[in-house]
Amino acid sequence: MLTRRQFTKTGLALPLVLPAFALRSAITAAQAVRPNRSFISGVQFGLQPFCYHDLAMTRENRGELIRRLIRNGMGMVELHSTWVEPRFTASGVTPAAARDKLREWRLTPPPAYYQSVRKELDNAGISVFTYYVNFDDSYTDAEFDAAFEGAKILGARGCVGSFGLALSRRLVPFPSRHGMFIGLHNHDNLSDPDAYASEASMVKGLSMSPDFKMMLDVRHFTAADGDCVGFLERHHERVAGMHVGDRRKHNGRSAPFGEGDAPIIELLRMVRDNRWPIVALLEFEHGTLRPEVEEVDLMFDYCKRAVA
Amino acid sequence: MKRLLAPGCVLLLAASLAAQTATHRSYDTAFLGPPMADPVLQHAKETFVLFGCAYCHGLNLVSRGEATDLMHSALVGRDENGNRIGPLLRAGIPQTAKLSPMPQFSDLSDQQIAAIVTWIHYARRQGRYQELTAATVTPGDAAAGKTYFDRACSSCHAIDRDLSGIGRKYDAAALRAAVLDPKGLKVERSFSVDRLKDTKLTAAEQRHHALLENYSADDVANLVAYLASSP
Repeated sequence: MLTRRQFTKTGLALPLVLPAFALRSAITAAQAVRPNRSFISGVQFGLQPFCYHDLAMTRENRGELIRRLIRNGMGMVELHSTWVEPRFTASGVTPAAARDKLREWRLTPPPAYYQSVRKELDNAGISVFTYYVNFDDSYTDAEFDAAFEGAKILGARGCVGSFGLALSRRLVPFPSRHGMFIGLHNHDNLSDPDAYASEASMVKGLSMSPDFKMMLDVRHFTAADGDCVGFLERHHERVAGMHVGDRRKHNGRSAPFGEGDAPIIELLRMVRDNRWPIVALLEFEHGTLRPEVEEVDLMFDYCKRAVA
Repeated sequence: MKRLLAPGCVLLLAASLAAQTATHRSYDTAFLGPPMADPVLQHAKETFVLFGCAYCHGLNLVSRGEATDLMHSALVGRDENGNRIGPLLRAGIPQTAKLSPMPQFSDLSDQQIAAIVTWIHYARRQGRYQELTAATVTPGDAAAGKTYFDRACSSCHAIDRDLSGIGRKYDAAALRAAVLDPKGLKVERSFSVDRLKDTKLTAAEQRHHALLENYSADDVANLVAYLASSP
């Protein structure tokens, strides 16, 4: 019986190891992150604010989002574009018309708009690590560029999205134009050949461009029976960040931190002990009777104890 | 000095315990609403939330993102006491075209599954009732109403027996209210042995609940037209 380390050393894992060129040229964008109030014991923590489930992700709610992030002691965030962009959906407006208006807005945003959002966040001591954009086939090339431009002004190191392998191929030329990375976000649909769910699919995606990095979703990978610790061992140079949460194996349910199968403590200690510049973005989808801000406090405390 | 310190220590201890209790019992009323009068429903609601169902399907079944709309799902409409929802919860839906498959909940107890099912049906009834009462009232087709009545109501009711003269006694608005929310079923839930034996009432309640979960606006309009036209 080989241990994971022995397995890697013997080269038996070679098919899963990325091409050398990719490793050499991997952008260490995360290393440029300046530690802030949620840099704990050598690990940079942040939040995926999707977990404030009661707070609609709109730019009108951005002030409340910032207040909650401060309350939770967070200095870094993965900001979904809907916290920044206007919404054009309304009664009497068709989805296609709303989509066209959004595209038009993205291509010609108000002058200094992104700078003003950046100022809000800077004043609160919050850095945007990644900008989450729902990239899909409806995007024009100019719109991809516009999303990166906006993200860069916000201070983001990369753009993240829940797209699959096919769209990834289209995205290859864009991040390098802006000196950023694309974060591939895995889900757990093993039945979809286009989806990032298995280790093999993620390796395939990462091999498309040195500017592609993983935003490894620990919850989803655990539910897809992935080996999170092994993945980090093998591919840590290509992992920009992790969505940290807990879930049970075999497509199991989300669970409070420590009650599922995700090796959260091991992963955080690997990041700490190896001084990897991997950002840990907390996220939860498990149920709770507590207010979300309190639940985030509990999750953050769990992680702080893990790296203490 | 000791006499002075002792009450102070007691006060500090009490304050500390109160703070701990407040933290421990923290409850998100903004999301969950105030506790419900019926403890069975309150438990069902909390179970639905605690196991993460509300996260995707919405506490009141207004689904988020790509989750199935349980308010209008045909499978939920056909479910009887969890006979369809229960197995689906245990197995999940791993094969799907959606971004994330529905998780499996095989580790839940039968009681927990039953509580989730209870909440789904309760919330669905509330939502469907609101939809039907908010819908514009249109004139129904009495013949279609008779067909519906014969299929769905005649095993318990008859227009020339228990419902005799109902069309003369009540106007259309009252009939509509009675169809959507029968007053005879408004009884307080009890676990006394006598009440548990009242299987007829329980069965009637379940039957009407199932109808409410599946009525279309046309069904209600047609049924009211039929009842109103009865001699």
